[in-house]
Amino acid sequence: MTLQYDDPIIELYRESFPDFARMVRRMGGSLEEAKDSFHDALLIYLEKGKAGKLQLHSSPRAYLLGTAKICWLHTQKKGAMLSLPEGFEAATPEDPDTEEREQKLLDSLQKSGKKCLELLKAFYYDHCSMDHIAGRFGFKGRRSATVQKYKCLEKVRKEIKITEIYAQ
Amino acid sequence: MRSDLNEIAQIDQYLFRQFTEEEGKRFEARLLMNDALVEKVEAQRLAHRLIRLYSRKKERDRIEGIYRQLLEEPAFAHQLKTIFF
Repeated sequence: MTLQYDDPIIELYRESFPDFARMVRRMGGSLEEAKDSFHDALLIYLEKGKAGKLQLHSSPRAYLLGTAKICWLHTQKKGAMLSLPEGFEAATPEDPDTEEREQKLLDSLQKSGKKCLELLKAFYYDHCSMDHIAGRFGFKGRRSATVQKYKCLEKVRKEIKITEIYAQ
Repeated sequence: MRSDLNEIAQIDQYLFRQFTEEEGKRFEARLLMNDALVEKVEAQRLAHRLIRLYSRKKERDRIEGIYRQLLEEPAFAHQLKTIFF
């Protein structure tokens, strides 16, 4: 994977992770555990930022360290009283059957329509504007990008239906 | 836009609670009378879960890539080494 060195996340990672790792070490955790919880927290930070829902009362670094600590306590079953940000389930294990079914569907979608998944990710996850998406994916304008977005969603829905029929 | 694409757009509005109260009620009334529409709504809900699953995986890979890259920086790697070893 190629990294962009001007990515502010790299600097945030560099200046925050060692302090969090030290905290986890003091509480008896390993480097791997520290990394996993830190990545969960970074994911929360990035997702909330993209969705325009990040309310910082302190620095990004302090937010990240606080969230990572909550994530780590959750993995240690010590954080039942501390809630993760609303709508965030990345650290919570799914029902194994559902997870397997969704993973199979995703594998088949990745084989048949990577470009569509990238377009849908840009809109629904990265919250990019339709103008930006039109430019990035080579559409004439926002209208044709919007039509393509719905065609892609239709394609995913059809794929789900086909896969479900074969599974039965 | 094609009428079936318009329907997809409407289902999105329903799933993301972008309808007004009245529009929402009208859509729910259609759901009561139309099993095929219910099926489409459920498939679209699952489609959005899959999009999120795909996107999160990509984002996690990016974060993992940053970690591996930082481990190649001697100062960063040394800091972690002194903490854990």
